[in-house]
Amino acid sequence: MGAAALLLGGCAQDPETDPKAGPSAGGKGQTTLTVGVFGAFGLQEAGLYDEYMAQNPGIRIEQTSIERNENYYPQLLTHLGTGSGLADIQAVEVNNIAEITATQADKLVDLGKVSGVDKAAYLPWKWAQGTAPAAKGGATVGLGTDIGPQGICYRKDLFEAAGLPSDREAVGALWAGDWGKYLETGKAYKAKAGDGKAFVDSASGVMAAVTGSSAQRFYDEQGKVVYKTNPAVRGAFDLAASFATEGLSAKLQQFTPGWDQGFANGAFATVSCPAWMLGYIQDKAGPAGKDKWDVAQAPKPSNWGGSFLVVPKAGKNAEAAAKLAAWLTAPEQQAKLFEKRGSFPSASAAYKLPAVSGAKHEYFGGAPIGEIFSKAAQGVPVTVVGPKDLVIAQNLADIGMLQVDQKGRSPQEGWEAAVKAIDNALDQ
Amino acid sequence: MTDETAVLSPSAAAPERAAAEGGGRGRPGQVWRSRRYRWDLRWSPYAFVAPFFLFFAAFGLFPLLYTGWAALHQVELTDPDSMTWVGLRNFTRLWDDEFFWNALRNTVTIGLLSTVPQLAIALGVAHLLNYRLRGSAFFRVAVLTPYATSVAAATLVFVLLFGRDYGMINWVLSAVGFGAVDWQNGTFASQLAVSTIVIWRWTGYNALIYLAAMQAVPGELYESAALDGASRWQQFLHVTVPSLRPTILFTCVVSTIGATQLFGEPLLFNGGAGATGGSDHQFQTLGLYLYEQGWVNLHLGRASAIAWAMFLILLLIAGAARLLRGRGNSR
Amino acid sequence: MRSLRAGQLTYVVLGLFTAGSLFPLVWTAIAASRTNTRLAQTPPPFWFGGNLGRNLQIAWTDANMGTALLNTVIVAGTVTVGTVLFSTLAGFAFAKLRFRGRRMLMAMVVGTMLIPPQLSVVPLYMLIAKLSWTDRLQAVVLPSLVCAFGVFFMRQYLVHALPTELVEAARTDGASSLRVMWHVVFPAARPAMAVLGMLTFVMSWNDFFWPIVALTQNGSPTVQVALTGLGRGYIPDQSVIMAGALLGTLPLLVVFIVFGRQIVGGIMQGAVKG
Repeated sequence: MGAAALLLGGCAQDPETDPKAGPSAGGKGQTTLTVGVFGAFGLQEAGLYDEYMAQNPGIRIEQTSIERNENYYPQLLTHLGTGSGLADIQAVEVNNIAEITATQADKLVDLGKVSGVDKAAYLPWKWAQGTAPAAKGGATVGLGTDIGPQGICYRKDLFEAAGLPSDREAVGALWAGDWGKYLETGKAYKAKAGDGKAFVDSASGVMAAVTGSSAQRFYDEQGKVVYKTNPAVRGAFDLAASFATEGLSAKLQQFTPGWDQGFANGAFATVSCPAWMLGYIQDKAGPAGKDKWDVAQAPKPSNWGGSFLVVPKAGKNAEAAAKLAAWLTAPEQQAKLFEKRGSFPSASAAYKLPAVSGAKHEYFGGAPIGEIFSKAAQGVPVTVVGPKDLVIAQNLADIGMLQVDQKGRSPQEGWEAAVKAIDNALDQ
Repeated sequence: MTDETAVLSPSAAAPERAAAEGGGRGRPGQVWRSRRYRWDLRWSPYAFVAPFFLFFAAFGLFPLLYTGWAALHQVELTDPDSMTWVGLRNFTRLWDDEFFWNALRNTVTIGLLSTVPQLAIALGVAHLLNYRLRGSAFFRVAVLTPYATSVAAATLVFVLLFGRDYGMINWVLSAVGFGAVDWQNGTFASQLAVSTIVIWRWTGYNALIYLAAMQAVPGELYESAALDGASRWQQFLHVTVPSLRPTILFTCVVSTIGATQLFGEPLLFNGGAGATGGSDHQFQTLGLYLYEQGWVNLHLGRASAIAWAMFLILLLIAGAARLLRGRGNSR
Repeated sequence: MRSLRAGQLTYVVLGLFTAGSLFPLVWTAIAASRTNTRLAQTPPPFWFGGNLGRNLQIAWTDANMGTALLNTVIVAGTVTVGTVLFSTLAGFAFAKLRFRGRRMLMAMVVGTMLIPPQLSVVPLYMLIAKLSWTDRLQAVVLPSLVCAFGVFFMRQYLVHALPTELVEAARTDGASSLRVMWHVVFPAARPAMAVLGMLTFVMSWNDFFWPIVALTQNGSPTVQVALTGLGRGYIPDQSVIMAGALLGTLPLLVVFIVFGRQIVGGIMQGAVKG
């Protein structure tokens, strides 16, 4: 019975394919807006949809979610290419945003012109990332949701056992300003702690963090691929590789079941953690990890991850969708998302709001995460993004660094393997 | 003869002529019927194959031709409508594409690792199921359950079982004194793990097929073999297996085709890392490489060329098998 | 037919094999009855926890499972009926009838089996979008009717299982092709049709790659499409994902258990001559 009703509901939506049908056709005078997201979101869980629907009785919001961005993104491209099957609002991961602004801007609504969107409220670099190049019209097609300023999450108990300070200020001071000192701390830790517990979860985690602290990564300002010759990238690779060659890494691969189990078993003492990872750690480390984890300032301000919302022109209700996208990304809502889900706001205007500035994380020893991550966010350099960021980052991590970390290859071998794979992937 | 021309002549003229030739009352009807009969005989085969080929033309041929065309172009998923002609470059570059050869090699080894044990175990299990068993219905249904499980669900479980640090299989291996195995990173180990998922899903199904064929083997064959003093094992080798040859051949063909297109298991076995098939591409199959080129790197033209290359390689294998069989028969 | 009584060793080996076959499924259920946090801990759980109801409920509502199951039954059912029918018709023609172009057409069928399915997705989607079939069930049903394996399978079966004399006898009696089909071919093909039907149904039920492109979760999802939405939110909840996987497999299992005898019988009969 319930199933049949749902099915009928599905059929009733069909008339909305007609763009003119608008509010009157959906039944009960409602407009249904769909939001398509990939795994790591949280707009729904933070109650933002419910709040918007309560404020706008004519609007119903539905979310479609695909767990992995690897499945989500190609589908989004296919749908944009044919102008069909799109949700009214689509999420885009930061590693894909440059490709979207460079190749799909003409298919997306210019959200910079939507009323209520205030450019000054956003971090300038985040705003720039969502804006198409001048040659493509220069429209701001993506509004930033969250960013991923990083800290270092660490286990107080393991630090203490190794004779290291465990207070977050003192811990941050161990490596302040220099990723090399993070490595030195690791060596000191290992000397005392012995072999049982590794210092970091994985070498690639370190690499992502170090790479995220430099302005120029894989592309230069002219859009040329420079990762091969960019000392910042190679430096990050080599530094991270030292964690593997020095035996400081637990040799795990992030976001695999083994990594999750690593948290549960306390297999490592630190992990570079963007704001969005805290909830993940809490869940995986479980109640047993409470009062053991804490979070300190990273050596250098660094960003890892973050997302945007775009509104396809081909959507059924582009105008209403643009309004919703603007609302969802406004500082107040971003602050709520941070409060509820830990996604750090990309709207800098939100940092002054008490929900952010006063935020503490109980699981992490009551750490003032609002303060820690705001500081990191404001120090993050304006990153130059490029269309193939995702492919380059992925191959560096999952081919190059993984070979060093898990297969015991030399850093040079790992680097060469990654370069070969990236060259092949970039060659059209 | 007249009938023949009647069939071939324009339809309207036929009845009158048949009538004019002065038959009795039944004659025109008979001609009509036989004409219809011949018409039916001639065209009905086409009518029978038509539904398949109609759908094939719409949903099979068009994609095939499109990819064939795309394979001759540089075309990206970001903008599938803009194509740049590159001739055979997408094909010729495969010669120097070590990732392609690696994937081809892996496809062959994983194919062998999964198909051979799968069919061998299936044969053994079928042999056991062929005994008079209590609860045989239970066994027969139980061995078929893996087949009902989706690749995604099955692989998810196996990834946990094959975990390096905390997986159940390594736990058992350590408990009995073997070292833990890095199922993800070892070339052979990872290929074996991927093959295991395939074997798990398909062995029971093949066993039932063999079981059926076994039950059709005439009992006299066994009796006379027993009279000749053959042991049970010898009977299995010299009576059962030869009698099952056509069935074995059929399952081989089906498994081989399945093995060449292997994709879901190696994709999902990779935990978090997408379509690379391991840090050294150690379990990247052709199907997975094609997916990586098309859906991760977004190069539709290159992906199309890989697909066509796969297709051509299979055709070659099929052709070679046919030639060999033809020779074998003529001797 | 020969039936020796099984020894104890036979039971032991078969028992082990069956346990191996069932284990991952049972473990899926165990995982679905636990919490996400517990699943990360070691050693992994070996027995059921108390969370099954909750996880199933989340999976059911989150994944829009009611609609999804109904859609999947419709899709898999239509695809199965269509495939079996078309394959039997074509398989019979290729097995027993002489007509011009037969070899070439059969070669095309075999060739179709060799095409890697991942590749058709983009051109197919362009086609579906042109027809405005995005998010409609026919977008998943119609392309799936091109089942070259089915034609191949039925041909292989009918070549041996259907005596040519039977067809010829019917023909000499003046039976039309349709009559021959109905009274001679279908009865002879029934076991193979049952097997093909089961194979197609399971395949269609578990099909993932194309449906996820063609359908959406809020529109007309199939089970596999609906399941991709599970574990959303910040932390993918493995126990809920497992519960979803269980929900998606359960209907097939029930069918297997209820009709197990018939299905197995069908496979067995179908395979004898195939």
